Amino acid sequence: MTALRVADLTALASVLQQSGGRIDYIAGGTDLIIERQGSPWANLIVDISQTVGLDRIEADAGFLRIGAGVTIARLIEDPLIGQTAPMLARAAAQFGSAQIRNRATLGGNIAGAMPAADLLPVLKCHAVKVEIQRRSGVREVLDFDAVVLGRGQTCLGNGDLILAVHLPLAEATGRISAFVKLGPRQAVTIACLNLAALADYGMASNRLRDIRIVAGALAPVPLRMDAVEAALRDRPVNQALVEDFLHALGQAVDSAIPGRASQPLQTAGHPWPRP
Amino acid sequence: MAAPSHPQPGSVRTASGREVRLAVNGRDHVLRLDGSERLSAVLRRELRLTGVKEGCLEGECGACTVLIDDLPVNACLMLAFQAEGRRITTVEGLAGPGGALSSLQQAFVDNGAVQCGYCTPGMVMAAQGLLLRNPAPDEAEIRDALAGNLCRCTGFQGIVAAVKAEAAS
Repeated sequence: MTALRVADLTALASVLQQSGGRIDYIAGGTDLIIERQGSPWANLIVDISQTVGLDRIEADAGFLRIGAGVTIARLIEDPLIGQTAPMLARAAAQFGSAQIRNRATLGGNIAGAMPAADLLPVLKCHAVKVEIQRRSGVREVLDFDAVVLGRGQTCLGNGDLILAVHLPLAEATGRISAFVKLGPRQAVTIACLNLAALADYGMASNRLRDIRIVAGALAPVPLRMDAVEAALRDRPVNQALVEDFLHALGQAVDSAIPGRASQPLQTAGHPWPRP
Repeated sequence: MAAPSHPQPGSVRTASGREVRLAVNGRDHVLRLDGSERLSAVLRRELRLTGVKEGCLEGECGACTVLIDDLPVNACLMLAFQAEGRRITTVEGLAGPGGALSSLQQAFVDNGAVQCGYCTPGMVMAAQGLLLRNPAPDEAEIRDALAGNLCRCTGFQGIVAAVKAEAAS
């Protein structure tokens, strides 16, 4: 087995040219090391946790480019994220423990493609694109939905690497947003349900427009809640709207997971059903 | 009982694998390690830093918490070679000359924050990481910083009290 650290993407390119076999990229390692307890490591382990170029957060033409190697802890604290995508910072703040947040990365959360992954509903809600470098060196920028395909399934082949996320600025600026997570414990918990919401709220009209609501942990991949959005769209924001919203949300959750043991918690916030 | 053999700074251990340079508690070590070895196992086995406890090996219990460049991380979820070029601090690195306890460690003693002791090094390191970044945390911040550390005996009250006392001092 060979284990090496690549200083930058040029060094990575030369490693890729020389190797033909399976590669394990490791950044935070908070999922991968657990996964490898039950499956063998690749012959080549490439540490990308200190790779220059994967760790930047910068405004680009019309989007915020967030490097795949940015840790969850940095998402919470970065001022650019706080200004343009506060929902992402909020989801990051509820992610794992301090120890996990200091290691786990944005790219790892996408590559893992777990149904309860905390950042995925937020990324889908923001309609991000994902910048990928194929093993061949070809770069592609793909829609989120073309990258995260199923439980643990992505469009990534072995040796492909997520470089960054592109978060569109026009659809984020001036919007209101929210992220909530429901789990058996408040801290260090795997979500039974998480919800990301982004909307344009007109103060004068007291109405919501361009609403996007995405649920995590309800399906193998984040689920856009069309019926729930419809219940909110272009109506005055008042108590009746809140009640209709909750009703629509409960129905949407029920229809997504009929019979799941945690359904009462997810629909009504009830405690776990006792046997 | 024979004293454990502490590797000398700069020593090279002979084993198969890759040469890995680790800076731990202010001393440099060169080890030969398999690339897939966890940092927690290497700190315990090769450097005899057994204050690094291995509990769950999946990042739930926090007993293996160490500081990497002053940030708390789970040493069980990091490969040892990933720590090259970083500054590693274990609980053994907190004590002063002759093993004198740091004021944070003393606060754990004074506040009854220790029962069986297995979680204690991880708790202390998580708290140390918090206090380095935020010397005056409130209780919510203390609880958040310790949320990744499980204790099955003290009920956490003494631990939170210890960190509060240290923050106030």
